[in-house]
Amino acid sequence: MFAKFFDACRAKGLPVALSEWLTLQEALDQGLAKNSLTRFYYLARMILVKSETQFDKFDQAFEECFKGAAFEDEISAQMLEWLDKSEMEELAREDARRYLNEGEELQIDRREVEEKFRQRMRDQDSEHNGGSFWIGTMGKTSFGNLGGNVGGVRVGGKTGYQSAFAVVGARKYRDFRDDRVLDNRQFQMAFRRLRQFSAKLDVPKTDLDIGGTVHKTCENGGFLQIVMEKPRKNAVKLLLLFDSGGTMIPYSALMNDLFQAVHKSNHFKDVKCYYFHNCIYSKLYKTPECENGDWVDTEWVFRNLDSDYKVIVVGDAAMAPEELYSDTGNYRGPNGGLSGWEWLNLLKRHYKKIVWLNPKMAPKRMPWREAETAIGDLLPMFKLTVEGLNQAMEVLMRR
Amino acid sequence: MKDRFESTKKYIASRELLDGVNVAIALQKPLLIKGEPGTGKTMLAKAVAQSLGKRLIVWNIKSTTKAQDGLYLYDTIQRLYDGQFGEEGVDDIARYIRLGKLGEAFDSEEQVVLLIDEIDKADLEFPNDLLWELDQMEFYIHETKRTVKAKHRPIVIITSNAEKELPDAFLRRCIFHYIDFPDEGLMEEIVRAHFPNVEEKLLKEAMAAFYEIRSYRDVRKKPSTSELIDWIRALQIGGIAPETIRGNLPFLGVILKKDEDLETVRHKV
Repeated sequence: MFAKFFDACRAKGLPVALSEWLTLQEALDQGLAKNSLTRFYYLARMILVKSETQFDKFDQAFEECFKGAAFEDEISAQMLEWLDKSEMEELAREDARRYLNEGEELQIDRREVEEKFRQRMRDQDSEHNGGSFWIGTMGKTSFGNLGGNVGGVRVGGKTGYQSAFAVVGARKYRDFRDDRVLDNRQFQMAFRRLRQFSAKLDVPKTDLDIGGTVHKTCENGGFLQIVMEKPRKNAVKLLLLFDSGGTMIPYSALMNDLFQAVHKSNHFKDVKCYYFHNCIYSKLYKTPECENGDWVDTEWVFRNLDSDYKVIVVGDAAMAPEELYSDTGNYRGPNGGLSGWEWLNLLKRHYKKIVWLNPKMAPKRMPWREAETAIGDLLPMFKLTVEGLNQAMEVLMRR
Repeated sequence: MKDRFESTKKYIASRELLDGVNVAIALQKPLLIKGEPGTGKTMLAKAVAQSLGKRLIVWNIKSTTKAQDGLYLYDTIQRLYDGQFGEEGVDDIARYIRLGKLGEAFDSEEQVVLLIDEIDKADLEFPNDLLWELDQMEFYIHETKRTVKAKHRPIVIITSNAEKELPDAFLRRCIFHYIDFPDEGLMEEIVRAHFPNVEEKLLKEAMAAFYEIRSYRDVRKKPSTSELIDWIRALQIGGIAPETIRGNLPFLGVILKKDEDLETVRHKV
C-alpha cells in the first residue's frame, strides 16, 4: 500500500525523492504517526512536500490511495452496511443544518471523541438511525455518517460538514497550485551572469585593499597601515520591454516567471520595465494592460535611461510586414509619424546592448515570418528558454 | 525541562505545527517554516526554546550573509595589528578564530535551538553551501586544523518568506511546514494569550473588522496576526468604544501599511 502511495505521489507530479521516502519510513519506524491516519497525513506531507504550492497534488495522491481507509480496519463490515444510506443524504442535509451545534455537547477534543467511539463500537449491536447516542446515520452524536455534529468522527461515506475528518477532501491548498514549465530558479541563475563590477558607488569602505595596504605599510617604514576600499558592486542597469499583445497571451505565465526572476534578482543597480503592443512606437506603457494614457514617451525613456542600460525585449515579433513598415503605425497608440521598424532602429542606435527574446521563435528562417526575420537581422534574437536566455546574457555582457 | 514541544503561554500553535516541530526533533532534521508574513514564523523558535528550556541562538540572514559567516571568521587584521605591537599569543591562531552562529550552536555544551531566520534573503547559493554542515553537523577550520563537531545536534528551525526559491537538494533534507493563516477560533485564542483581560465586545468587533478587511480582494498587503495584536493594543490604549470600531476603523494605519490600501478600505466603509 505504501509503495502504491509513493507511485501515486510521483504520478501526480510531486518530485518525491527516494531519500525523502526513506525519511518517512524512518519516521514511521519511530512510531511518529501514532497509528492515526490524520497524523500520518501530516507526517507524510511535512516530509515529502516542500512547498505549499504542491500541497494540492499531495492531497489528491493521498485521497486516491487512502480514500475510505479511515478506521476501516477497526470498523466491522456489518457496521458500514448500516451506515450506507446514500439515498437519505438530501433529507439529512436539511435536518443536519438544524441539528448543527445542538444536541450532544460539542466534541472538539479528538482523542476523547475517538475514545468514546471505540467504547461505543464495542457496545453497539444493532442499526441506529436518527438517534443521539449510538453510531448511525443522520444522528447528532459525534460518530457516524451524514450527521450534523461538528468535530466528530465520520465513519465511511461522504462528508456532510467539513469538520469531520475532512482535511483531504476539502482541497484547501488548491489556490496555491503553481504549475510551471520553466523553473523560476533557472531564470534567476541565468540573470546572475549579468554582473559588471564597479567601485564607484556610495558605500562605506569595508573591504581590505591588499595592494594599497602593502604600499602604505612600506611607505610607513614597515609599520602596518591598513587601507580599506569600497566593496565591488554590480553596476548593471536593465531595461525590460515586454510585448503584451494578443498573440502573447499564451505565454503570459512564462512572462510572469521571467518578470519575477528579474525582480527577485536583487543584484542589479537598476531595473526599469515597460510594455508595448506588438511593436515599439512613440509610447511605452507602464502596465501590461497597455491602456491609453498610462504611458511614457519612448523618447523620454531614451533621454532618461542612458545608453549603458542593457535592453531585453521580450516579444513574439509576430506581425504583418505592413504593420512593421507602415508609417501610419498600429491601431492602438500614437506612433509619432515613424514606422515600428524605424522606432526599432532608433532603439538600436541609442542602446549599446540589446537582445530580443522570443518565446515562439522559429527554429530556422521561415520566409512567411517576414517580420520576425527582419527583426532578427536587426537585433540579436534568442528563443525564450533557459539555454536561449543564457546565450542572450552572454551577448549582453560581451564588451 | 520537557522533550516535547507544546504551546506556551504567549505562543499558540496549531496541532499540525506542534507535530511538525516534534517530528523534526525526532528525525534530527532542520524544520523549514514558510507562511504569510506576520504569522509567527520567527516567534516559533523562541517558543520552542522556551518550551523545551533550551538556549536560543539566532542567525539573522541578510542579503550579504555568506555561509562562511555562520561557521567561523579568522580575524586576520586583529592578528596583524597585534603582531606589530608584539602582543602575547600572536602565534596562537586559535585566538583569532571567531565562531559564527552555527559554530556557536555546534560548540555549545548543551543542546540549543538554532534559528536561521529568513534564509531566502541571502544569495541563491547560500543554502547549498550549508548542506554538509547541516547534514553532518560539523565543519573544519583550516587555519587551526580543528574540526568543530556538534556535541549535541542543535534543533534547527529555518524560516523563509519565499522571496527566492530554495534549491531542491536543500529542501530534501528539511521537514517542511506551511503556517496557515489562523482561522477565527485559533486567532481568538492567540489574541487572548496576549491580552488575557481583553474586553469581550472590543475583541469581537475588532476581529470582525479585521477579517472583513482581509477579505477585500483589492487590499494589496493583507494584515496579519501581528498587526491585529498591535491594533487591539492600540484600541485598548486609545480607549475606543467597541461599537464604533467597525464604523470608524480607528488607528487603521496600524493594520494597513500602504497608502493605496488605506484609501481602498476607507472608500468601502
